[in-house]
Amino acid sequence: MNKALRNPVVYVLFILPAFILFLAFFIYPVFTAINNSFTSWNGISKTVNYIGFDNYVQAFNDDAFWKSVRNNVYFILFSCLIQVPLIIIFSLLIANVKKFKGLYKTAVFMPSIMSTAVIGILWGFIYNPDFGLANEVLGLFGVSPIYWLSDKNWAMISILITNAWQWTGFYIVMVLAAILSIPKELDEAAAIDGATGVQRAMKITLPLIMPIVSVVIMLSIAGAMKAADIVLVMTKGGPAGSTDVMATYMIRYAITSFRHGFGNAIAVLIFVFTIIITVLYQVLIAKRTERIEY
Amino acid sequence: MKKSVTMLLSLFFVASTLLAGCGSSNDKNTANEGNTAANNKPANEAKVSDEPFEITIRHTQIGEAKKFRLAILDDVVKKTQEAVPGLTIKLDGVDSEVNRKEKLRGEMAAGKPPEVFDVFGSPDAELYAKEGLMLDLTPILDELGIKDKFSDLGPFTHDGKIYGLPIGGSIEGIFYNKEYFEQKGLTVPKTLDELEAIAEKVKADGKIPFAQASKDAWIPLMTTNNLWSYYAGADITYGFKSGETKWTDENMVKAIAKHQEWVQKGYFKKGELGFEYADMRNQVITGEAIMMMDGSWANSVFRDPAQAGEMVGKIGYFNMPPLKEGDPFVVMQDSNNGYGFSSAVGEDPRKLEAVKEFIKNMWTDEMQLRGLKEDGVLPAMKMDLEQMKTASDDPLMQDIFKAVSEIGNAFPAFDALVQAEVNTALGMGIQQIIGGEIEPQKMLENVQAAQDAANAASE
Amino acid sequence: MRATKKVIPHIFLMGYLLVILYPFLFVIFSSLKTNNQDIASNPFGLPSSITFDNYVNAWVNAKISVYFFNSLYIGILAACVSILFAAMLSFAVTRMRYNKISAIVFQLILLGMLIPNNSLLLPIYGIMSKLGILDTHMALLLPYIANAIPFSVIILAAFMRSLPGEIEEAAVMDGLSSAGLFVRIIVPLTIPAIVTVFIINFLGNWNEFLLANYFLSNDALRTLPVGMVGFRDAYNTNYAQMSAGIVFSVLPVMIIYAILQEQIIEGVTAGSVKG
Repeated sequence: MNKALRNPVVYVLFILPAFILFLAFFIYPVFTAINNSFTSWNGISKTVNYIGFDNYVQAFNDDAFWKSVRNNVYFILFSCLIQVPLIIIFSLLIANVKKFKGLYKTAVFMPSIMSTAVIGILWGFIYNPDFGLANEVLGLFGVSPIYWLSDKNWAMISILITNAWQWTGFYIVMVLAAILSIPKELDEAAAIDGATGVQRAMKITLPLIMPIVSVVIMLSIAGAMKAADIVLVMTKGGPAGSTDVMATYMIRYAITSFRHGFGNAIAVLIFVFTIIITVLYQVLIAKRTERIEY
Repeated sequence: MKKSVTMLLSLFFVASTLLAGCGSSNDKNTANEGNTAANNKPANEAKVSDEPFEITIRHTQIGEAKKFRLAILDDVVKKTQEAVPGLTIKLDGVDSEVNRKEKLRGEMAAGKPPEVFDVFGSPDAELYAKEGLMLDLTPILDELGIKDKFSDLGPFTHDGKIYGLPIGGSIEGIFYNKEYFEQKGLTVPKTLDELEAIAEKVKADGKIPFAQASKDAWIPLMTTNNLWSYYAGADITYGFKSGETKWTDENMVKAIAKHQEWVQKGYFKKGELGFEYADMRNQVITGEAIMMMDGSWANSVFRDPAQAGEMVGKIGYFNMPPLKEGDPFVVMQDSNNGYGFSSAVGEDPRKLEAVKEFIKNMWTDEMQLRGLKEDGVLPAMKMDLEQMKTASDDPLMQDIFKAVSEIGNAFPAFDALVQAEVNTALGMGIQQIIGGEIEPQKMLENVQAAQDAANAASE
Repeated sequence: MRATKKVIPHIFLMGYLLVILYPFLFVIFSSLKTNNQDIASNPFGLPSSITFDNYVNAWVNAKISVYFFNSLYIGILAACVSILFAAMLSFAVTRMRYNKISAIVFQLILLGMLIPNNSLLLPIYGIMSKLGILDTHMALLLPYIANAIPFSVIILAAFMRSLPGEIEEAAVMDGLSSAGLFVRIIVPLTIPAIVTVFIINFLGNWNEFLLANYFLSNDALRTLPVGMVGFRDAYNTNYAQMSAGIVFSVLPVMIIYAILQEQIIEGVTAGSVKG
């Protein structure tokens, strides 16, 4: 028994492929990024000058950088405060209807299987100020045309709506599975005790699905920190940088402006921020929900 | 033990064949693609014993508006393939702005540009040449004897060597709806005030004075650049990089304020920050907008019935007028866009041969004339104005030739004179002006800050 | 009263369905119209005269079939390989008796979940360039495989840990080696989690735009997201034709989804909820 499961050759060989890739694509790049972030390298030149913390100082002094950070925060807030409640409500609704359950489940998931880029193009079309679907529908209610992607007050919200449209269904399916795996007896017993549907949802179902909701929130935060594709495709960070997230800000300055060193400093800041947010979430919120559960 | 090792080996074998399989299938893909591309070309390659090889040309002639340019490129490619045994040329089309700002810059950073690529002379080619990424064309041009035939190779010259060739020249000015001007009794303006008076009338008539699409910042910056060249003098732009002049000059503030004033008075279509380049031509074609600041290259769109429909023949062109009547016209005129070649080509004699053949076929008087006739691109090679005028009797082209002859003071576009990061800052700034987020003074201070940082870094 | 109570959830759900589905319908309708004016004058309904020219043009101008198959095979291959590697590592870490090293390896890989991989675009670009594989599909396969490893390991390891130890004891008695145990016993038992991980990895690869945009130049190698954005950039004012392009790019996925929807939806949840 021990012999079979204590075979050093096999152990190493099993671990190596994944581990080498992990080192090559996570650990090594992180160190390269940190190293480059202290240089003024333009990305092309063969000579590299070390300039200490200048890149970081510059990033911290740049309003546009903080604007991009704020947009990442909007992504997180929008997912947690608007998307998550919607996900829970729609999951509960689908779980409790008898007819069309399959239809709902299938349809809500559909946007998640399409490429973000294609969705960006499709929604760019929907947001067209002259004949896009959004303005046509609002026009029926007498709302005057909104310049969705070219008005800085609307551009970010437009992207958030598109992003929510794409991913809400995906999470609904996850939460729905958790709801359906709750033993029926619990719910039925409560119903006999005279609890209304809403009461049962709040008192029984909700606490039981908190772990999966917590997973959904974690995934949303990770997704929010990573978001770049949808922004690049829809607005390229415009108008005037008002929809830049940290990743698109990095591209704008690193590649478009030949400032690789600065771009790498932004990269380092992105994962420092991600780690901070994740740790904060774990410490402040995830722990507490677990306590409620027990 | 033995068993487990075999098992593992087979596992690895599977994994590595999977990976290798994808690598090779990938090669197959490219090979097939190359063949089909070659077969699609009307002329089949002659049968030769030479081993086949390929070069890739990154061009930006994509979309309806650039079809004439693509046709010319196709013909040159065809000729070159016929002349060089075994050669297959792959065409890789990328949007111009994406190629310049992202794609090519990324490829250069990785040291792996395509063999032939669309490139801007200054500052792009200069930077790449400095790092030894571009092929020195001087010997080829000497051999072909065409070195002295170009009107201006300055933007592509670095340390006395030539690293790229401009495909054509261009000026920037205002296209306008002639029919509308006639109906309303408007005439080509002689001063900026007159231009504004026209804009005011057009606006009062419920039309958009100037078509503009500002999703990409270089488009509104054509207007800004011309305005500041009038207010602060075209020479001011040369001094930014050296530090002799400042963006925050009071005349620069006036120029930006003028652009801002036009935005505030509603001379451009609302929502311009969300529109793509092609949208603004459409605004003119549909008659929604009456004038449009654009490069002379846009004429091909207005001369093509497939794109401009009934507007063909109804569009004219004039230079942006000076502040005072009789002052010289100050106009952006350059030949900064063309093709460059990877320095890697120099290490492969056959590729070098192919590139030489490409240059020989592309930069001829015949092709330049054809470009002028079919596509309305001003020649990059020397040609006197009279010869140009006879080349095309199209009224719009005649307007453009007239504009060229009127130029009192030509200047290169600002982006050829400042560093890439300053361009980024200026682009951001003008979009903020258009979006109403910032005042001219503050915007120029931001640009100056980027300029100072860039100047400090290059020291 | 009871009847209305039953109907209310359906009203909300149908509203949501409309929001999900109508954009598709809008695009299909638009793709059948002749030009932008046609779309503007009659945005909601079918056009009076239907034209399929846009489909012909879109098919010719955007090589959607090429992009589609590139995306499909890169997505599937990368997902499979990363699952294989992740499963091997998870097996070694959870079932083999090297607890101390395993704990370190596992923690390190967990750390990978915190690193947003697109922020590493620039350094990875450098690696690809050093390896000389930029502008080949390997330049996407390697990072896609690597990027999926932390997530896959977490799910698979959690699932494998939950398997009872008696199974393997019996198998070892029968003379199976550890590798044999992995292939014959553990992998088959882990299938639900593997399906979940596969679908999530595949969707991630299928969607990926950033690396694909920067690492590949050759049009014939482009994946669907990049190819479609290129198509949009080239034909950005002809909305009718663009709609046809969108329909082409969405249709195959829809068909696959229609056939496999039950497996996909069960798959997303089976492994993660139980594991």
